[in-house]
Amino acid sequence: MSTRNDAQEAPQAAKEEHVVVFRLGDEYYALDIQTVQEIVRMQAITAIPGTDDWVEGITNLRGRVVPVIDLRKRCGIPAREHTGETRIVVVTSEQGMVGLIVDAVSEVLRIPGELIEPPSAIVTAPENGYIRGIAKLEQRLVSLMDLEGVLPSEDHEMYSAESEVQAA
Amino acid sequence: MSRGTPLTFELDDDDLKLFLEEAEEQLELLDTALVELEGEPDPELLQRIFRAAHTLKGSSATIGHRKMASLTHAMETVLDAVRQNRLAPDREVVDALLSALDALRVLAEEVVTRVDSGLDPTPLERVLLDLLEDDGAEEEAPPAAAAGPSEAESAAPADATAAAESSDSGTEDAGGQPSVYLRVRIDPQCQLPGIRCFQVLQELDTQGKVVSLTPPREVVEAGGAEFTLEARLVTTANEEQLRTALQSIPDVSVEFGQSASEPAAESPAPAEPEQKPRLALVKNERETKPQQTKAQPARKTQGSQSVRIDVERLDGLMNLVGELVIDRTRLQQIKDALADVLKDAHLTELTENLEETTSHLARITDELQQEIMRSRMLPVRSVLTRLPRVVRDVAAKCGKKVELVTAGEETELDRSVIEELSDPLVHILRNAVDHGIESPEERRAAGKPETGTVTVTAWNQETYIYLSIKDDGRGIDTKKLRKKVVERGLVSPEAAEAASEEQVLRYIFLPGLSTAETVSDVSGRGVGMDIVRTNIERLNGHVTVHSTPGQGSEFIIQLPLTLATTKALMVVANGTVYAIPLVSVTEALAASTADIQRVGGRQMLRLRGKLLPVADLAEALGDRRERTHDGPRFVVAARHGEREVAFLVDRLLGEQDVVVKTLGDLLGTRKGLTGATILGDGTLGLIIDTPSLVSEHAATLAIA
Repeated sequence: MSTRNDAQEAPQAAKEEHVVVFRLGDEYYALDIQTVQEIVRMQAITAIPGTDDWVEGITNLRGRVVPVIDLRKRCGIPAREHTGETRIVVVTSEQGMVGLIVDAVSEVLRIPGELIEPPSAIVTAPENGYIRGIAKLEQRLVSLMDLEGVLPSEDHEMYSAESEVQAA
Repeated sequence: MSRGTPLTFELDDDDLKLFLEEAEEQLELLDTALVELEGEPDPELLQRIFRAAHTLKGSSATIGHRKMASLTHAMETVLDAVRQNRLAPDREVVDALLSALDALRVLAEEVVTRVDSGLDPTPLERVLLDLLEDDGAEEEAPPAAAAGPSEAESAAPADATAAAESSDSGTEDAGGQPSVYLRVRIDPQCQLPGIRCFQVLQELDTQGKVVSLTPPREVVEAGGAEFTLEARLVTTANEEQLRTALQSIPDVSVEFGQSASEPAAESPAPAEPEQKPRLALVKNERETKPQQTKAQPARKTQGSQSVRIDVERLDGLMNLVGELVIDRTRLQQIKDALADVLKDAHLTELTENLEETTSHLARITDELQQEIMRSRMLPVRSVLTRLPRVVRDVAAKCGKKVELVTAGEETELDRSVIEELSDPLVHILRNAVDHGIESPEERRAAGKPETGTVTVTAWNQETYIYLSIKDDGRGIDTKKLRKKVVERGLVSPEAAEAASEEQVLRYIFLPGLSTAETVSDVSGRGVGMDIVRTNIERLNGHVTVHSTPGQGSEFIIQLPLTLATTKALMVVANGTVYAIPLVSVTEALAASTADIQRVGGRQMLRLRGKLLPVADLAEALGDRRERTHDGPRFVVAARHGEREVAFLVDRLLGEQDVVVKTLGDLLGTRKGLTGATILGDGTLGLIIDTPSLVSEHAATLAIA
């Protein structure tokens, strides 16, 4: 495949991204820094019965009730024990504040647009509708995550069918 | 004037807020007052009404809302005629005014949406002006320019206490006639001095003829005046009357004198001795507004000093206090832990100090919490003011004569509850007028006064507010009710037969019931009372009914004073702490002592002569995790309406006041849960939605 073809197929260069990079399993992901409120250590999370696996529950963030999602489970990455590096990334989404459990937060980066490839250039599985780009850095790839895409939307069923208890 | 067209008004966001709050106040006042107007109105009432319309006209003109200014102008003209006894406020007149009021509400909304509602007030204006036949007041064309009523308007210049006559020909003419010179100052804290000056000018126009004005009329009418206004007025009103009339406009103070006009420079308003300090509205603090001083301005309302605060600010304060409470608890725990260590180290004084301080902190925090809660409270009056209008409308539609009496308006409750109270109250009231009160002929035949009475009373007791809606109508026909529920298949014939009078009365709350022969569109198709009760119970309240045939019925709504907190029974089920609102809990007991049997394949609890279905709380909520509890369990019986269910839990933790927090948008409406609460150790507990859980798990028995 000639590079000229690639250049013609590729859409115009992405603009610079200012992101927070974190790790899920062995892979790196990033979220737009504008969406990130703060990063806290793992703290007590109250499970909500009858919710999907990846809804960890709710937690108390300085007096506010914030729902917490296990990003690993949400993205289909095999679960692992929480370590000392596990963090909750608190983000602001269209549906309010949400906490995302990640394995570690590594850094804040400014990624120049030229290093970013659109997701269509890479073969992706249909459920990866939340990756909006891949950044090819020197030593690794960082998948740029679309927050609204990774969060459940309104029509998504948060609660599994099994939770419907039948009245005798 | 087409629907959906964008509109612009001459005001920024702050002015907008101010305008809306004022407008709302005037509109509400008019709503209540206009209903009272019918029949024998008293002069003071008329004056209040006139003033309200006048103010609305002024503010709407100043912001450039032509339609609204024009409609209020028409209303004002009619009201003026009533005020001068040239027009009697009969039903026709009041109806027209009330319709205009409704239209005004729609028009006021346009200021918020900035989109044309499509409402054309012209037909309404014509109706209003037609009422006037041909008397002296000329109705000029509605103001064409955004700058306010036209010069050529000849307002009837009667003032409150004397019928002064003078005509405004629009030309200056002070020749030989007594004139008064006055200087008006607007409070420097006022956000909209231009509007106030405009209102002053309007008032002056009704008091006499303005022969000189600084700043000039065009400027004042365009809302461009600032904090001082000077005028020479030809009038037969005396200083006292003028002062009273002018100083009823907020932020205004008046001086009379003979001095030559000075340049209209801004100067601080001298404090009038007989006038309490009047200040403008509070709004959100913006760093960019330098004149916003630390001392929050207050508006004088009905003789008391009060401050308007954004609800968000109060909610923010509540949150902060909530956190304070948690830290206080933690501090006490730490103090307790340290106590031994300190004692061993013989640091008794330090221990005492720590003890004292933590106690004091605890007390202060509790008080702070109480005060914040109390500042969220509003008198129930605001809900009650809607009612006269509702009664009037329904009575008219049904051809009944009904009088509404209210009591206990000053009873306070949290604003979250007030909002929820309105609909059920209105619905029950409509029912009372429509079904409860008999027609005038029936009443006469029964030896009752033709006009029925509905009494709405509010009071509080402990942590609840009670509202009674009592009518002196025909009462509820229990015989008919018994038949109807069987006919509709809602209750088995045997159960209906065996039910006591009290139980039959409660049939009113069954879904799908309507005892009206003809379904009037007023109270609907019998879906009403069922929904009313569900909504009240969703708020952790109750509604009960009493009735005496031939004499009347009484509905009593009981609601907690606040939705922000609720008294709950704390339990643990499979490792999670749950709060069950106490209002639905009927009993809590140890499972070992409970009489649980298997009946028809289900676990049932025999309690107080009833059989309650038993459900595991964790399972009922969909908790599929492994059960870890080993050991004795407990049963909590909870009720919703007529149904009761017994829930199995692992531990009982006791009663507690819990602060209700929502689960947020992401999780949406949870099945079985209404929210979360922060526990003493900072973790979260879940608050149970008893009505939905009970409904789901109750066996479908006929009403016991």
